[in-house]
Amino acid sequence: MRIAEVIGTVTLSRWHPALTGFRWIVGVPFSLNGLREDRPDGEDLVIYDDLGCGIGSRIGFSEGGEAAQPFQPEKKPVDAYCACILDQLAVK
Amino acid sequence: MQLALVVGHAVSTVKHASMHGWRLLIVQAVGPDEEPDGEPLLAIDSLGAGHGERVIISNDGAGARQMVGVKNSPVRWCVLGIQDR
Repeated sequence: MRIAEVIGTVTLSRWHPALTGFRWIVGVPFSLNGLREDRPDGEDLVIYDDLGCGIGSRIGFSEGGEAAQPFQPEKKPVDAYCACILDQLAVK
Repeated sequence: MQLALVVGHAVSTVKHASMHGWRLLIVQAVGPDEEPDGEPLLAIDSLGAGHGERVIISNDGAGARQMVGVKNSPVRWCVLGIQDR
């Protein structure tokens, strides 16, 4: 899982039938320097969210095969999954 | 499996049910020359690794799912060992 800051949401007008009802957010991942300076500086990406995070939230998101695991045994074309909302980050 | 440095920890209340009860560490994978390799990661930890320690992390999702005991867990990275030297 990587760490990202939520900067927005995505609304779709057409989507894959398997994705009906899903909520999407846009997250910007942190590099190590970014974490230390409290400034997200990675390449933004769209993340599936069922925890209900808001803009400005810090999240941990899974990628790749693990992102689709929570939907098992259904198969969903999801590549990034918001697994936790982070209340506190302690980085030195 | 990769060598990583523990750079911090995270606290989360709202999370996937499979992650309840696990410590969340922020780890930075390092290359052979101690240079950071990629972006920092969240890894689950049962060993009690602390800040500044070097650990071995695993990116095996199936292994992590076995560790947490939940088949549909989104967890991939877990701490497998703490390096002494």
